[in-house]
Amino acid sequence: MTVILNKNIAHAIYLASKDKNHEEQSLVFKKVAQFLARKRLLSKTKEILSFLNKIINEHEGRVVAKVSSVEKINEKTHREITQALAHHYKAKEIKIVENLDKKLLGGLKIEVNDEVIDLTIKNKIGKLQEHLTKSL
Amino acid sequence: MSNNTIVENLKREIENFSVQIKVEKVGKVLEVFDGIAKVSGLSDIKSSEMVTFPRGETGVALNLEEDTIGVIILGDFSKIKEGDEVKATGRILEIPVSDKILGRVVNAIGVPVDGKGVLKTEKTYPIEKVAPGVITRLSVDQPVATGLKVIDAIIPIGRGQRELIIGDRQTGKTAIAIDTILNQKGQNMICVYVSIGQKDSKLRKIEARLEEGGAMAYTVIVSAGASEAAPLSYIAPYTGVSIAEYFMDQGKDVLIIYDDLSKHAVAYREISLLLRRPPGREAYPGDVFYLHSRLLERACRRNKEYGGGSITALPIVETQAGDVSAYIPTNVISITDGQIFLETDLFYKGIRPAVNVGLSVSRVGATAQIKAMKKVAGTLKLDLAQFRELEAFAQFGSDLDDATKRQLERGKRAVEVLKQLQYAPMKIEHQVVVLYALTKGFMDDIAIEKIKEFEKGLTDYSEHHAKVFFKQIAEKKMWDEKGEEELTKVITDFKSNFTKS
Repeated sequence: MTVILNKNIAHAIYLASKDKNHEEQSLVFKKVAQFLARKRLLSKTKEILSFLNKIINEHEGRVVAKVSSVEKINEKTHREITQALAHHYKAKEIKIVENLDKKLLGGLKIEVNDEVIDLTIKNKIGKLQEHLTKSL
Repeated sequence: MSNNTIVENLKREIENFSVQIKVEKVGKVLEVFDGIAKVSGLSDIKSSEMVTFPRGETGVALNLEEDTIGVIILGDFSKIKEGDEVKATGRILEIPVSDKILGRVVNAIGVPVDGKGVLKTEKTYPIEKVAPGVITRLSVDQPVATGLKVIDAIIPIGRGQRELIIGDRQTGKTAIAIDTILNQKGQNMICVYVSIGQKDSKLRKIEARLEEGGAMAYTVIVSAGASEAAPLSYIAPYTGVSIAEYFMDQGKDVLIIYDDLSKHAVAYREISLLLRRPPGREAYPGDVFYLHSRLLERACRRNKEYGGGSITALPIVETQAGDVSAYIPTNVISITDGQIFLETDLFYKGIRPAVNVGLSVSRVGATAQIKAMKKVAGTLKLDLAQFRELEAFAQFGSDLDDATKRQLERGKRAVEVLKQLQYAPMKIEHQVVVLYALTKGFMDDIAIEKIKEFEKGLTDYSEHHAKVFFKQIAEKKMWDEKGEEELTKVITDFKSNFTKS
């Protein structure tokens, strides 16, 4: 029994629709919708689309980063983060989604896919607490 | 410590503290149920890698699927919520180890639960390790003295052996294990007792008994009680063997007891079914054989070039109504180097330990037996087998020839001699004396009710009067003509003063 993974479907959709003009693409999408309906996979559309999103981002060198902070980050920090991430992930384009969270107390938290760089005060205090309870 | 020093200490620690910032892999809890969590993300996680939950609970990634992973939670899972962040640690599950662990009761993740304070450790050992290879091993030739006559004489156990203790409930399986631990005093042996899914009251009793016998000084108890979640029961034996390996790596001999592996298999079945792995025979998952074989394979005797030391394993398996052909018993029987088979019928007949001598075997232990014991016990097993046969036969009539009668009488005495009270381990020299007296026919004219008394008296008497013999056994593990002469004289002397009936 072969199982078709959501990832594979998303990949196939990407390959089929790549480098095509608008008309051809709409034909492809129509066929994809028919395929999903026939295979009873319409309930999985959400997952497939999120995979498709990831695949497109990956192929076009685009990285989406979610940056959480207490206050809105200023232009300079924004630019620095973009540069640092572009360097780290070797990406052509960095898309930053900002998120405000008072509970972080200070600092930044950058999330890219399932990787997290936690530079917040909250995290540091947590680590310090762990350190103190362990060493004393 | 005054308040000031505490503050000073704190200040110093805070000053010296620095956070290392690194990229962390983080996933999100999708659902939690019965000690299992489904987690999304964590794309590059390894199998059986440790993960941490926000409140400090640890988990182990077991099922790696397309976009989720199945994690077993080691600890309290009631506080974990949907949406919680799960961090990968990049390490395989490990437990803290140190020499100070001796005399302690720890839980399945190596944290003390006996209320005697925290255990400071520097080293950690992974709980899953590949068993030592062929080249590093040595064949079994050193005995483990259990202090039980029936085992030391007929089913001897060697250092590095894996001997299964199998039987129905309430047949004295744990008693054999505990007696063995108690007898390891001064035998240069570290003991690890792993309690899996046992009642906490039973464990408390065992601990008290070991403490009383002075055995906790060289014993570690790993406890995963019946009230704890299945994942803890599942990892407890691996934790135990890791502690054992820590001591083996120092060149020491270790005895580990798994009490019991049927409950371990049940815990693993529970986890597997919750993780939606397909059930097989008796609803156990397909890898339940590997579950036990990889555990028991870690028992070994290593040669000197690779550090020496040994791990002797005594797994316990509980059968239902004497059915040894159930799935788990057959598996473990085939993995181990022999089994000690306990029977309810024998137990209620008053033959305790209720070892069925005919069905019990030790496949490698004979090479480990000391020479003197081999000499006296050589024919014992056969004698007993013949006795069982004759006993059934003799019930039909009383017209028996003298030779048969003699054999029957001898057999009855052998059965009597092999009976032994709980918590009364016997030194190997004493065992040799008693079995010598039995096999040479010195007990044939003693009334059966008096055998125990005779045995007790003889061991006490010979302790003081057969010094040469004892010395020879202690040093050369065998007697010579001079020793034998002395022993014969001692037994005859003692017998002449003993009222036979």
